[in-house]
Amino acid sequence: MAFRISHMLNYRFMVIFLLAAISLGVFVVTPSFARTVTDQLERTVTVPDEPRRIVSLAPNITEIIFALGQEHRLMGATRYSDFPPEANKLPKVGSYVHLDLEKIVALKPDLCIAIKDGNPIAVAKRLESLKIPVYAVNPKNLETIMQTVLEIGGLINAEKEADLLVQNMDLRIQKIKSLVSNVAHRPRVFFQIGVSPIVSVGTHTFIHGLIVLAGGTNLAEGSISYPRFSREQVLALSPEVIIITSMAREAVFEQVKAEWNKWPDLPAVRNQRIFLEDSNFFDRPTPRLVDGLELLVRLIHPELFKEAE
Amino acid sequence: MNTEKPLLIKRLWVVSFSLLLVLFAAMFLGLSLGSSHSGIKAVFQNLLGIGPQDPMLDTIIWKIRFPRILLATLVGGTLSLGGLVFQAILKNPLAEPYILGISGGSAIGAIIGILMGLLRFPGVSLMAFSGSIGTLLLILVMSSGHTILKKDALLLSGVMVNAFCGAVIMFLVSLTQDARLHNIIFWLMGDLSMVDMPQVGILAAMLLPCFFLVFWFSNSMNLLLMGKEMAQTMGINVKAVTVTLLVATSFMVSTTVSYCGLVGFVGLVVPHLLRLLFGPDHRVLVPACVLGGGAYLVFCDVLARTLPDQGEMPAGVITAMIGAPLFIYLLKKTRR
Repeated sequence: MAFRISHMLNYRFMVIFLLAAISLGVFVVTPSFARTVTDQLERTVTVPDEPRRIVSLAPNITEIIFALGQEHRLMGATRYSDFPPEANKLPKVGSYVHLDLEKIVALKPDLCIAIKDGNPIAVAKRLESLKIPVYAVNPKNLETIMQTVLEIGGLINAEKEADLLVQNMDLRIQKIKSLVSNVAHRPRVFFQIGVSPIVSVGTHTFIHGLIVLAGGTNLAEGSISYPRFSREQVLALSPEVIIITSMAREAVFEQVKAEWNKWPDLPAVRNQRIFLEDSNFFDRPTPRLVDGLELLVRLIHPELFKEAE
Repeated sequence: MNTEKPLLIKRLWVVSFSLLLVLFAAMFLGLSLGSSHSGIKAVFQNLLGIGPQDPMLDTIIWKIRFPRILLATLVGGTLSLGGLVFQAILKNPLAEPYILGISGGSAIGAIIGILMGLLRFPGVSLMAFSGSIGTLLLILVMSSGHTILKKDALLLSGVMVNAFCGAVIMFLVSLTQDARLHNIIFWLMGDLSMVDMPQVGILAAMLLPCFFLVFWFSNSMNLLLMGKEMAQTMGINVKAVTVTLLVATSFMVSTTVSYCGLVGFVGLVVPHLLRLLFGPDHRVLVPACVLGGGAYLVFCDVLARTLPDQGEMPAGVITAMIGAPLFIYLLKKTRR
């Protein structure tokens, strides 16, 4: 009997020991400070479980992190990261096309979030060679923006906030889709993002997607992403709506508008439908693009809102 | 003759040593100043290995700033040497790789290489080399044979070659739609920030043999300056020396262009300054140009990364701002 008890005790010890070993093993095998993820460029990146020192390498990423309420994790951002206004206060690490490697390293980031279009690949590679993980995103349209928001939320432990944000975006997009679904006419829109030379947006841009969603026809659709136009070409296309987004000031806009007003035969001029809008609503792949979409619907289909009022 | 040789060697040592000190001073400045404002004292502590060591500062100094100052040294030395060689062979005090359009030709080749998606080494470098050889031939055709051009005409043709290269570059840049465009524009202005240690190693392996080659021919350059006939009677194979030096120089210049774009006027400022200080003997001037040119570009690069409040500007902006006025001054002086 005594032998049995001691045997059982032994047995119990064994079990406890095994459990401890297993839990210890689990702890050792999956350390709590890092995990491996795949970013949007199919690169494997080892990121910290709880990133606390993030450097955002593009204005739209800064915006997304603010939108998720995780700005306390941000240690630095690029120049022109000006939304929300508090983002201006962050230390700046160069512009997104010309990053200042030394400043980034000096901020001791435990994670950098980069974008595919714009951030030089050389900088990303050098950051990685300095053992700073770089997670790259590539938002191209509203769907991939929502995907990006969810991924960044997952990276920085803000899944709940990301879900909420994306639900809200989705809801507003669906609303617009149903609003526009039975419009009879899709006006011809010329979306001018460059003043001199005149530059518009092709099919593979998110602005094109917005114009189509908002119930318009993009006059510049085609394989070239940012096609250049001569004045003559634009006149021949006879746009019904001209939307100019520019970082330029009001004075420049008045000039551009006056240029177009020289052509009273242009439908957009006849009906006074030339608009200047803040480019930040349209050229940054962020949740604010939905604001841009709502704005576009008002510009392209004002009649939908008159009926409602 | 017997007394001249030891004197020359002594002069060579004195000049080289003093310029080496200048280079080290510039390098120390380059290591201690940067956009992260680390402070010179902390850098001193790191270099001497005393006091509290900050691993982040260590990374910044040795992995970011150090490759950069080495690159600036190599590029500055190369471009100054390029200026010296062109000035000697074309017998024109205003000749310089950038002004003659050699750099522009390399840039065209390099941009085509980048747009083709080639690797920096060897693809883009080779394209740049063929571009530089192309412009070199153009210049030689214009400046030799029946139509021997005068000083001003050579410079004018250089200006035209440059304008043509600029147009071709803008043409190529306009054709591209993608995000590489921004990088090309920064690179065009002479950007030293994007190079890491292995790349500096490759660059050094290509450039250092050329430095020695040019030094080997330094006395020939002295004799060439005295005139072709004079050089020939002194036993110099004028054609062979000229071709070797020009090809080696184009190779060096095109290599630097493929790594850090167009850094202008270094080959004008440095050789003139050094000639003023140490006299016209090329046996002294060749090593002096390598060391002094290196120090000069390291210094310009320090200015380029500390002057702007946010970010940094390409070093080529600084060298052009110093070099172009000097060019005008020299032009006026030689006219008189």
